[in-house]
Amino acid sequence: MMAGMHRLALLVLIAAGAPMAAMAQVSATRHSAVDAAASQGAREVLAQVRPAVIQIKSFFGSNTAQASHGTGFAVAEGGVFMTNYHVVAEKVQHPDKYRLEYRTAGGDTGAIAVLAVDVRHDLAVVRASGYAPAPLRLEATPPAKGERAYAVGFPLDVGLTITEGISNGKIDDAFEARIHYSGALNAGMSGGPALNAAGEVIGINVAGYRFEQLVSFLVPAARAEALLRARSVDPEPAADLKKEIAAQLHAHSADLFAALEGPMQTQAVSGYSLPAKLAPFINCNAYGEPMTDDPVQTVRINCFAKAGLFLQRGLSSGDLRYSHYVLSTDKLDAWRFANRFSGLTLAVGNFGSHRHVGPYACEDRVVGLKGFDASVLVCARRYRRFENFYDFTVRVSSLNGAHRGFASHLDMYGVEFEAGMKFIRRYVEVMEWRP
Amino acid sequence: MSAETLLIEGLDGRGRAQWCQRFTLGEDRRTLTIGRSIHADVTLDDPYAAALHASLEIGPDGEILANDLGSMNGLIVRGKRYRNAGVVTLADNILQVGRTRLRIRTRHELLEPERPDDLRPVSLLRHPAWLAGFAALAGSAQLIYAKWLAAPRDLAEGIVTSLGVAILTICAWVAVWALLSRVMQGEWRWPRHAAICLGVVASLVAVVGLVDLGWFVFALPPWNSRSAWIGAIALGCALYLHLTHASSLTAGRAAQIACVVPLLLALGSQWLQERYRVRDVNHIGARMRIYPPSLRLRGSETVEDYFKSAATLRTLADKRLIDALANDPAYDDK
Repeated sequence: MMAGMHRLALLVLIAAGAPMAAMAQVSATRHSAVDAAASQGAREVLAQVRPAVIQIKSFFGSNTAQASHGTGFAVAEGGVFMTNYHVVAEKVQHPDKYRLEYRTAGGDTGAIAVLAVDVRHDLAVVRASGYAPAPLRLEATPPAKGERAYAVGFPLDVGLTITEGISNGKIDDAFEARIHYSGALNAGMSGGPALNAAGEVIGINVAGYRFEQLVSFLVPAARAEALLRARSVDPEPAADLKKEIAAQLHAHSADLFAALEGPMQTQAVSGYSLPAKLAPFINCNAYGEPMTDDPVQTVRINCFAKAGLFLQRGLSSGDLRYSHYVLSTDKLDAWRFANRFSGLTLAVGNFGSHRHVGPYACEDRVVGLKGFDASVLVCARRYRRFENFYDFTVRVSSLNGAHRGFASHLDMYGVEFEAGMKFIRRYVEVMEWRP
Repeated sequence: MSAETLLIEGLDGRGRAQWCQRFTLGEDRRTLTIGRSIHADVTLDDPYAAALHASLEIGPDGEILANDLGSMNGLIVRGKRYRNAGVVTLADNILQVGRTRLRIRTRHELLEPERPDDLRPVSLLRHPAWLAGFAALAGSAQLIYAKWLAAPRDLAEGIVTSLGVAILTICAWVAVWALLSRVMQGEWRWPRHAAICLGVVASLVAVVGLVDLGWFVFALPPWNSRSAWIGAIALGCALYLHLTHASSLTAGRAAQIACVVPLLLALGSQWLQERYRVRDVNHIGARMRIYPPSLRLRGSETVEDYFKSAATLRTLADKRLIDALANDPAYDDK
């Protein structure tokens, strides 16, 4: 919940800005005929789903002030609601420290229990005591691009709200399935339903980009259906949600490395052959400095998997990213180039908290790779709460050129040790010097 | 009684004579008086001494006899106070009157043989101004080289800034030791302390640079705290040299201080770093500094061998987590 607010916080700030508000007003005046029709659809959808949507609040200890809040909606008879896992994550991870309550649009309140979670798709099934509205219908077929869509929730604690937008269908290259929703999702709407014009749930509000305009994401309704089917086998709260989460993390880690199997794609930069875009769900960007006033020319390649799972505040898992910095010079001598290169080889670990991970253990040696020697550093640190999960930090620095070299950084979060080491070895072995 | 010569020495806290007076006792004058009055033979500037506090005379066998003349505080001999106790024999020729310690020397005293003067730092620093100048040049050259390595942007500005900071720091350090010399020895000894400081700093920078280079050339395993230990050794050398020239400590005592202080500092800082490392889960440690690859003398190992060793990281990481939990009892992991 807090994480949900955090993820969406910047969108909230942008919406609150005075210049943006003025622009929105101008736009509404210009297209008043279209907006009138659209607004009617939104009114109907909101009236239809209003009883089924609740606000879910989290409280730390016996405090009456909330720690964070999100949204949920009825998906089954008997007061069973669907929401995001990140809305109830603190309660799941620290059951003795947090409590959950719901609040209906009409102002009724009561307790909430977590029945099941799916961290891979950021979903949770909860039961509300004393409130059992008619469930909303899930539409498992993904909406087509361009279809009208609505998102409902409790943004910023200002009451039940509906936003209107366009569904842009499933994202092609996402590691976990997501629907691209071009509409506003603000902090507090996490876990709320996204609906089509017929009032059927097409997805669950989950996240939005902070610096972009109306680029938001939904978890497809099919994933919610799958979780409900799994839960119907065992209608009681799971005995140990943490074990269930650990099993889901293992499955995610295994799927991640399975997707990275096969021959590793490489790209040639300044004579070095280095790992390139390794899977469709990995995004890579390359930058260079076109100006020649710097005596050292640097090409930087950054790649992100964006496969990470939110586990709790400050802890994500099952992700990887890597960068290559390729340096060359025709102006500096070997000593000054080496000095400049040294600055890039320094290792800074992943950002983590001692509450979640232990300290790093490292192996730092000079290794012979294909056609060149390199200083290779591999560091691993263990997760505290999840067995056999480790963060890895890898730094490879070439040691073969007086006027050129590369430093490659690979970081992996929350992966199994053997699978992680196997991938690191493949990553290092594929590097080659081909002048 | 034949004439006997006495030398009365007033001692400081470390047993060194601050002043002395010579007397001759014979037929016409058998005793010597000590006190605050101008009528005393030895006049003391000591509020704890009586006007005529004590008298001294030479015994038949050449021993020195002291007699309390009815003072309030009496005499202190070998740590024991004597009040109106009659004649007291001074076994080690030391007598305390009031708070003034006196050493009485006669022709009967046994002198230790002359000590050989093998205090090398004195010979090393025979021309401190030259040494300081040479060390300043060497240190400046290394600093300029370090700035040149990071060049070419703002080279002149970087050199001037670094040199300015270095000069100010060294001046402050030298001033402290010169002041101590002035207080303890009565001399400022600027060139000598400047030579010590500059010489140690220039050597430290050179040694750290050479060790870094050696680590790269021979691809030695990482040792994060090596620079801290080299720094501690340099501090020990500087402390020893400064102390022997600024204070009246013996060479042995200065060496003890120069060993203990840097050792404690190094151990303390290593302990703090270790605690910090255990709690900072993002800490990785210093890596090998890179030099031109043509300097490398040691070959590389195979990927197979490397990953065989790296497989032990799992055990190490598990152990580090267990250690961290043991060292951080405030964290409730349940």
